[in-house]
Amino acid sequence: MRIEVDAKDWRFMPDIKELVAHRDLFVTLAYRDIRVRYSQTALGLLWALFQPLATLLILTLIFGRAIQVDTAGLPYPLFAVTGVSAWSYFAFVLKESGSSIIGAQEIVRKIYFPRLIIPLSKATVGLVDLAVALLVMVALFLYYGFTPHWGMGLAALYLLGIMGAAVGVGIWISALTIRFRDLQHVVPFVIQFGLFVTPVAYPAQVVSASLPGWAQVLYFLNPMAGLVEGYRWALLGVGDPGGLCVLSFISGGLLLITGLIYFRRMERVLADLV
Amino acid sequence: MGSGGRMISVEGIGKRYRLGGPKAIDLRGGLRSNLRRLTSGGDRFWALRDVSFEVKEGEALGIIGRNGAGKTTLLRILSRITFPTEGRFSIEGRVSSLLEVGTGFHPELSGRENIYLNGTILGMRRAEVRRKFDEIVEFSGVERFLDNAVKHYSNGQKVRLAFAVAAHLEPEVLIIDEVLAVGDVEFQRKCLGKMKDVASHGRTVLFVSHNMSAINSLCQRCLLLDDGRIESMGDPAAITTLYLGKNNAELDGEKDLSDSPVSSDGAGRFLRLRWTDETGRTIDHARVSQGFNLQVDFEIAQPGYKPQPVALLYNSKGEQAFMTFAGEGDHPTAPGRYRATLHFPRDLFNADTYYVSFWFCTWLPHKVHFVLENAISIKVLDDLESPTRAPSHATVHGILRPKFQWEIGQL
Repeated sequence: MRIEVDAKDWRFMPDIKELVAHRDLFVTLAYRDIRVRYSQTALGLLWALFQPLATLLILTLIFGRAIQVDTAGLPYPLFAVTGVSAWSYFAFVLKESGSSIIGAQEIVRKIYFPRLIIPLSKATVGLVDLAVALLVMVALFLYYGFTPHWGMGLAALYLLGIMGAAVGVGIWISALTIRFRDLQHVVPFVIQFGLFVTPVAYPAQVVSASLPGWAQVLYFLNPMAGLVEGYRWALLGVGDPGGLCVLSFISGGLLLITGLIYFRRMERVLADLV
Repeated sequence: MGSGGRMISVEGIGKRYRLGGPKAIDLRGGLRSNLRRLTSGGDRFWALRDVSFEVKEGEALGIIGRNGAGKTTLLRILSRITFPTEGRFSIEGRVSSLLEVGTGFHPELSGRENIYLNGTILGMRRAEVRRKFDEIVEFSGVERFLDNAVKHYSNGQKVRLAFAVAAHLEPEVLIIDEVLAVGDVEFQRKCLGKMKDVASHGRTVLFVSHNMSAINSLCQRCLLLDDGRIESMGDPAAITTLYLGKNNAELDGEKDLSDSPVSSDGAGRFLRLRWTDETGRTIDHARVSQGFNLQVDFEIAQPGYKPQPVALLYNSKGEQAFMTFAGEGDHPTAPGRYRATLHFPRDLFNADTYYVSFWFCTWLPHKVHFVLENAISIKVLDDLESPTRAPSHATVHGILRPKFQWEIGQL
C-alpha cells in the first residue's frame, strides 16, 4: 500500500478504488447502526413495521376516505403504500445521512478513511426499513388479489433512481452541515414539505390538471416527484411517467453528481471544521 | 520497500488555518459577519510551512518543539486526518497512530462487536480481526465480559480492550503523539512500551514528545520545529540540547501570566509563576545548600471546579525528577485568586538547571484542563557548604541529590 497526498490534487470525483478497499468498514458501520437502532428498543424491528403502517392508516383515512382522491379505481391503501415505501426511505436517508458527519466527528477528528463511507453506510441502514415497507406492500398486493406482472421489474429501476436521489441529497446535506450547522434544523422542514410536493398521497395528475406550466416544472424539479410517480406506474399501472417526469430524473442525477463533487471538496477541510 | 528504503517522503508541506472565531458558519452570527468570514483572507496564519524531510525504513524520528510549533498539525497531515494547504508527501505502507486508541467504541455494543468495529475503523480487514481475535481478547483480559455491552465496562477495561486492538494493528509506520496522552499516565506508559516494541522490530516510527530522554533513547534522528518551520534536524542528542538551550535562554525565574485567558473550558488560569528565596525575593538561581520556594498564583474562574496546580520538574536532560501536588483535602473550591507555595528544603536538588511544567488539574473528576510546558526554570549551583557535595574532580550522579541520614559507627 502506498499513500500519496498532494495539495495540488483537485480531482473532483471520489476515489472508487479506495472506497472498495474500505468495504469492510462500510459493512461494520452499517451493522453497528442496525444493531444500535433495533437492539435497545422494546419492539425492536417491529418499529420498522409500525411506521409505514401508521402512515398508511392516516393517509387512508384522510386522503382515501375523507378527501377521496382519484386513484383510478385502485383501493387507496394499495395506491398509497407504493408512495409511502419510497418516501420513507428518502426521508430516512435525508435525516440520517444528513447528520452523519456531525455525528461521527469524534472519529473524523482522529482517524482517516474515505469520509463518503459515513453517509453511504447510513443510506444502507435505511434499506432495512425499506425492505420491511416492501413486505407490507407485498402483503397488500396479496390481500387485494393484485396479480404481479412483468412490468414490475421496471419498478426496481425506479427504486434505484430513488436511492440515487436520496443518497445525492443526503451527501449534499452532510457536507453542507459541516459548514452551515443551522441546516440541521432545516432538514425536518424539507422532509415535511417534500411529502406535500411529492405524489405520495395523491396522483401527480392532480398537479398537472390544475397548476400552470411553470408551477408544474417546479414541481417536477423535485427529483422524488417524477420518480415516485414512475415507481407507482411501474407497479400498479396508474399515472403517467412521461412528459415532465423526465425533469425529475435529470435533477436527481445532477444532485447525486454535484453532491459527490462538493463532498470531495469538503473532505479536505472537514477535520478542521467539525 | 521501493524507493531505496525510503518510507516517508515529505516535500514542502504547509498548512494554513483561519484565525480564531467559531469554525463553522452560524446564522445567528448575522449575514454580514459570516460573509466577512467567508471572504476575508486577512486573518489566516500558517501553522506549518515548507516542511520537507525523509524517513528511512526502520528509522525512528523524534519530533520536538514548543507548544504551537506545529508538531500535532504535522502528525495530523501525515495521518491524513487533515489535508495540507501546499506540498505533498508519500508513505509506503499502512500508517497507524496511537492517538486513536478506542476511537469509535460504541457503548451499546458488546466487547466482541466493538473489537470488530474498532479494528475496521483503524484500518483492519474483518478477516484480519477474525484471525487475531483470540490474541486480542487474551491481551485485553476481558474474556469474561466479551458479550456484555461496553457501557458496563470499567474505564480500565475499556482502555485495555482498546489498547489490545491497537496493539495488533501491525502498521508499517507508527505515529505517536505523547503530548496528547498527557494526564493518563497508564496510557502514556503503554504508548512508550508499544513504541519501544515497534521500534525494535525495525518498523518506522514518528514520535512527538516533550520527554527529551525518551527522544534520546528511542530515536535515531530528531526534528526540531519552531513556529511551523523546521529549525533543525539531525542527531537527537544535539537537537535536544539545542532545544533545551534555546528554552534556557528564554526562561527565567518568573513568568507573568496575568494577561493570559481563562482555559477554554472555563476552569481557570495561572496568574504568576516564580521562584523565591526564603525572604520572598524573586530568584533565577539558588545554591544546593539553600532552601527555596516555588510560588504559583492561580485563579479559579468558575464554581463547581476544584482545580489545583500540579508541578512537574525536569532536569536539563529532560528527565523527570518528580511531580508534586497538594493533597486532595487541601485545594480551594470557591472561585477566586489563590497562591500556592511549595517549600523545597536545602540539599535536595543536584547542581543542574531544572525546568518546571505545570498542569491545571481537577481532582474529581480527574482531568488536566491545560498544560504549561517548561514554564520557568532555575539554576541550582553547587557550593562548598553542601554536605552532599562530591569530592573535587568527581560528579554526583542522579537527577536529585537529597541529603540522607548516614549513621556510621564502629563494628
